[in-house]
Amino acid sequence: MSVRDLTGNRRWLAFAGCCAWFVFTIFPLYWVAITSLKTPPDVVNGPTYFPFIDFEPTLKAWRDLLSGIRGEFYSNFWSSAIVSVSSSVFATLLGAMAAYALVRFPFRVRLLSGVIFFAVAMGGFLLGRNVFGISPAMASILAFTVALALSVFLNRFPLPGKVLGNDDIVFWFVSQRLFPPIVVAFALFLLYSEMGKMGFKMTDTYLGLTLAYISFSLPIVVWLMRDFISALPLEVEEAAMVDNVPQWRIFFGIVLPMSRPGLIATFVITLAFTWNEFLFALFLTNSEWQTLPVLIAGQNSQRGDEWWAISAAALVAIIPMVVVAGLLGRLMRSGLLTGAVK
Amino acid sequence: MTRDDPVKHLFLWPAFLVVLAVAIFPLIYSLANSMMSLRLVPPMPARFVGVDNYTDLLTNPRFWHTVRTTAFIAITSVALQFVIGFALALALAKRVRGVNFFRTTFLMPMLVAPVAVALVARQILNPTMGPLNQVATFLGFPNLPYLTDANWALGSLIAVEIWQWTPFVVLLLLAGLQGLPDDVYEAAEVENASPWQQFWGITFPMMLPISAAVIFIRVVESFKIIDTVFVMTGGGPGIATETLTLFAYQEGFKKFNLGYTSALSFLFLGVVLILSLVYLALLKPYLEKYK
Repeated sequence: MSVRDLTGNRRWLAFAGCCAWFVFTIFPLYWVAITSLKTPPDVVNGPTYFPFIDFEPTLKAWRDLLSGIRGEFYSNFWSSAIVSVSSSVFATLLGAMAAYALVRFPFRVRLLSGVIFFAVAMGGFLLGRNVFGISPAMASILAFTVALALSVFLNRFPLPGKVLGNDDIVFWFVSQRLFPPIVVAFALFLLYSEMGKMGFKMTDTYLGLTLAYISFSLPIVVWLMRDFISALPLEVEEAAMVDNVPQWRIFFGIVLPMSRPGLIATFVITLAFTWNEFLFALFLTNSEWQTLPVLIAGQNSQRGDEWWAISAAALVAIIPMVVVAGLLGRLMRSGLLTGAVK
Repeated sequence: MTRDDPVKHLFLWPAFLVVLAVAIFPLIYSLANSMMSLRLVPPMPARFVGVDNYTDLLTNPRFWHTVRTTAFIAITSVALQFVIGFALALALAKRVRGVNFFRTTFLMPMLVAPVAVALVARQILNPTMGPLNQVATFLGFPNLPYLTDANWALGSLIAVEIWQWTPFVVLLLLAGLQGLPDDVYEAAEVENASPWQQFWGITFPMMLPISAAVIFIRVVESFKIIDTVFVMTGGGPGIATETLTLFAYQEGFKKFNLGYTSALSFLFLGVVLILSLVYLALLKPYLEKYK
C-alpha cells in the first residue's frame, strides 16, 4: 500500500464525498430516463420518482419517436451519425499524418511569409470585391490562392525576420481552439452562402458541415497525436528505412498500427465533440443535414411541456455517448491517457 | 530530427490546408466584413465604414453587459469546477473505496450533449412539475423561480456548467496526480508531516503547472458557452443571461446585420486574448517559483 493512500476517518469522508457527487451526477440522467417512460398525467400532476411505485412506466413516447410520427427524427439521427463518424475518421487520419510529420521531420516557416499571406489575402479580397467588383466568394478564393502560392514561393528565400520551427507550427494548430467558434461559424456561413450564389451549394450539405468539423477537431487531434507518436520507438522505423521502405508505407504500415491505442482514444474524443456540437450545425444546416443537437434544442419551443417526448429524443442523443464514456473509462484504466496531458 | 524527405510536405499539408481554408480564411473574410456596413434585411449595398462598427459596439451598454455576464459565468463556474474537481481527483488518486466504479461514472456528464443537459435541467428546475422545487417545499424552503429570476437563472446556468465540466477537470488532474513521484511523500511521511501539510507543501505546488493549464482551457471553453443558455433561458429574463456568443447569434441571425456581427465576433476574440494574456502574466511568477 502506498503512503499516499487514505486511512481511518479520511477514507470514509472521501467515500461519502464521492457518493454525494455520484448522486449529483447520476440524478439528471436517471430523471431523463424515467421521464421518457412516463404518461402525460405522471408528468403534469407534479413530479413522480420511481417506476412501478408511484407511476406505471409505458413505452408510448419511444414508440411515437421510433415510428417517426413526430417528424424527421431518423433523418437527423443519420445525418448526425454520418457527419460525426466520418469527420472524426478524417480528422484523426489527417491529424495523425500532420503530427507524424511534425514529430519526425524538421519544418521551417518564415514569419514574414506568414505575414505576407495574411496581407495579400486580405488586401486581394478587398481589392477584388470593392474595386474590380468581383463577387465576394470568387474574390476571396482568388485572393486566397494567390496569397498561398506567393507565401509558399517566398518561403524559399532567406527573408529577414524570425524563423518558426515545429513547436511553433504545433502551437499554431492548437491556438485555433482559442478562437471563439462564433467567429468562424458566422464567417463560414457567409462564405458558404456566397458560394451557393455561384451555384456551388455548401450550406446544409454533407461536405460543408464535415469540412467545418474536421478543421474544428484538428487542433486537438494534432496535439494529442503528437504526444502519442513521439512516444513510439524510433528503431523500427529506422530499420525499415535501411531496407528502403518508402515513407508512406512506413507511416501506414508501421506507425499507424503501433499508435493504435492513441488513435482510438483520439477518435473517441473527437467523436464526442462532433456528435454534441451545436453552434456550427445551427449556422450551417437547416433541413436535410440538420443534426440531432439542433433538433433537440428546437423541441423546447415546439413541444412545450411534452416532457416524455422530449426526454426520449434527448436520450437518443445521450445514449451513444454514454457507451463511449464506458469505453473511455476502460481506456483510462489501462493508463492510456496518462501520457497525453504531459 | 535528422531525417529530411520532401514527402514530409504530403503528410503535413492536408491538415494545414483544411485549417487554413476553413478556419483562418473565414477569419480574414470576416475581418474584412467587420469594416463594412452590410445588411441583408433591408438589403443594402456594402459600404466601407472603417472602425464605425467597433466604436458602435464599444459604446453599446448591451455589449458590455454580455461581456460581464459571460465572464461571471465562466470564472465562477470554473473556480467551483476546479475546487470540486481537485477534491474528487485526490480521492480517486488515493484509491477511495469503489474507485473503478467512480472513475467511469464521473466521466459521463462530459460526453452528454449540452443541449440535452439543458433540456433535462429545464425539467428538473421547473417550478410546478420539477422535482427540485417539490423537495425544497418539502424541506420548508419557498418555491424558487430558478429560470425566471435573473440571479437564480445565472446560478442555474453555473450549476449546469459545473455538472457538465467538472469531469474534465477530474480527468486531467487525476492524470497529473498519478504522475507525481512517490519518494517525496515517503520523505514527508518520515518527517511526520500531516496530510494537510503534505497537500499544501507537496501536492498543490507540484500540480500547479497542470492546474494552470486546466483552468486556462476551461475558462477559454466556457467563454464560448451558447448551447445551454440557448435552451435553458434563451438569454432571459430580459437579457440577464445573454452571453457573447448568443448576442452574436441574435445580431447575425435575427437582424442579419452582417458587418456588425463580424465586428462583434472580433471584439469577442479580443476579449478572450486580453483575458488569456492577463492570466498568463499573473501566473508567471508562481509558475517560475515552483519550477
